[in-house]
Amino acid sequence: MLKKRLIFTLLYCDGGYVLSRNFRLQTVGDLAWLRENYDFDAIAQSIDELVVLDVSRGERDTAAFAEHLKELSASYFLPIAAGGGLRSLEDGYRLLAANADKLVVNSPIIDNPALVRTLAQTFGSQSVVASVDCRKTEAGYRVFIHNGETDSGLDVAAAVSRATELGVGEIYLTAIDKDGTGFGYDGELAVQAAAATRLPIILSGGVGRYQHFCDGLAIEGISGASTANIYNFIVGGLSRARTHIAARDIPMAAWDFNLAALRGTANKEST
Amino acid sequence: MLAIVDYQMGNIHSLGNALAFLGCEARVSRDPEVLLAADKLILPGVGAFDAAMRNLREFGLVDVLDEAVRRRGTPVLGVCVGMQIMASRGTENGFSEGLGWIDGAVEVITPTVIGTRVPHVGFNEVRFAAGNNDVVGDFAKPTDFYFVHSYHMVCSDPADRVGAVSYGGQELTAMVRRDNVLGVQFHPEKSQSNGLKLLGAFLRC
Repeated sequence: MLKKRLIFTLLYCDGGYVLSRNFRLQTVGDLAWLRENYDFDAIAQSIDELVVLDVSRGERDTAAFAEHLKELSASYFLPIAAGGGLRSLEDGYRLLAANADKLVVNSPIIDNPALVRTLAQTFGSQSVVASVDCRKTEAGYRVFIHNGETDSGLDVAAAVSRATELGVGEIYLTAIDKDGTGFGYDGELAVQAAAATRLPIILSGGVGRYQHFCDGLAIEGISGASTANIYNFIVGGLSRARTHIAARDIPMAAWDFNLAALRGTANKEST
Repeated sequence: MLAIVDYQMGNIHSLGNALAFLGCEARVSRDPEVLLAADKLILPGVGAFDAAMRNLREFGLVDVLDEAVRRRGTPVLGVCVGMQIMASRGTENGFSEGLGWIDGAVEVITPTVIGTRVPHVGFNEVRFAAGNNDVVGDFAKPTDFYFVHSYHMVCSDPADRVGAVSYGGQELTAMVRRDNVLGVQFHPEKSQSNGLKLLGAFLRC
């Protein structure tokens, strides 16, 4: 049986990492700091997928981001989705050559659909993820682009349908109002998005407790549950989250988290 | 020396990183001398069957690999499309001939359960046939590996299929093996410690 996914999202900004609350950013530190103080290796070894998003607010430097991704991912052996600020096919090649398996696109869904189509045709639908950021308004869930600053004019169903038509392989759905709050996912938003597409959906924004992952994964059409909150799930937090989720009859992949034990175990004759 | 065949079919850095983590510095090459001198080969690949065979032909590697694997008996591990092209033929974007190391065809996944999505993407459980403990002895129970594919190999001789995964009401081929030829549909380099264990076993066997 295909398993559900527990996902961690790293937010990269100008060479370092940040936390986000309702899309306002707070710097936490660089890669070394992340590894040292938050044992990021333990996090990376206990999740099904890693998402790395460049949320730098100024002009984005995809070449520098790709270099960073390469360094980050050299000792992590799991699927990686990366994006934020992709402007060209060339940017796509750069990130895929830096160990990314999937490309994440957000604003281009609305303002550069030709790029999204080209990425999907070149690398395959399974390699392109549409990130959709939503705010709750009086008129329902509206989709915002450009780091959540510009109203796209579309509601969630319209944006998800458009992304599906452009050929992406999955949807990464974020509730801006829940982002960083710890209050749990926006379940109603998830239901509306799932009704508009048959693509797998990853939920993001709002997790504060283990049970929130379960609540999200229990919704029909939701195949992944993400958190970007490193403070909540420091060190063994996400491996305990896996145990909590699996104990509630949600199918989760299993493996031995101690990757370090395997380091250097290749036999000498074959090297 | 282990050589990863470089025929421009997708990212090979992750495989190289996984082998380096295990302590094996692999050569990435399409130089016939290097490939023939290697005591183990890995045939990676992301993309389509026909494109993979076209690239192998363009780089003049079909005969080189045949010489290494069939005549000299060099152990080889195919990954994803690198595994698929070990079959006799493929059907992706029209008929194309494969390396023919495993009798069979690579066909599109046709789920019998309505609503099943293709490609098959994500961690899924592989059940291994008995008698392959040198490679999968670490996995007594069905074990999760990361898949991303729309096509799978249908083996003419069921004995060649030594690993299977259930998806959409079908039993898909997850691992094939015949003599010195080993192939996995999943990505061991993207399957956390389960994948590293399998790669480590291949390096030691």
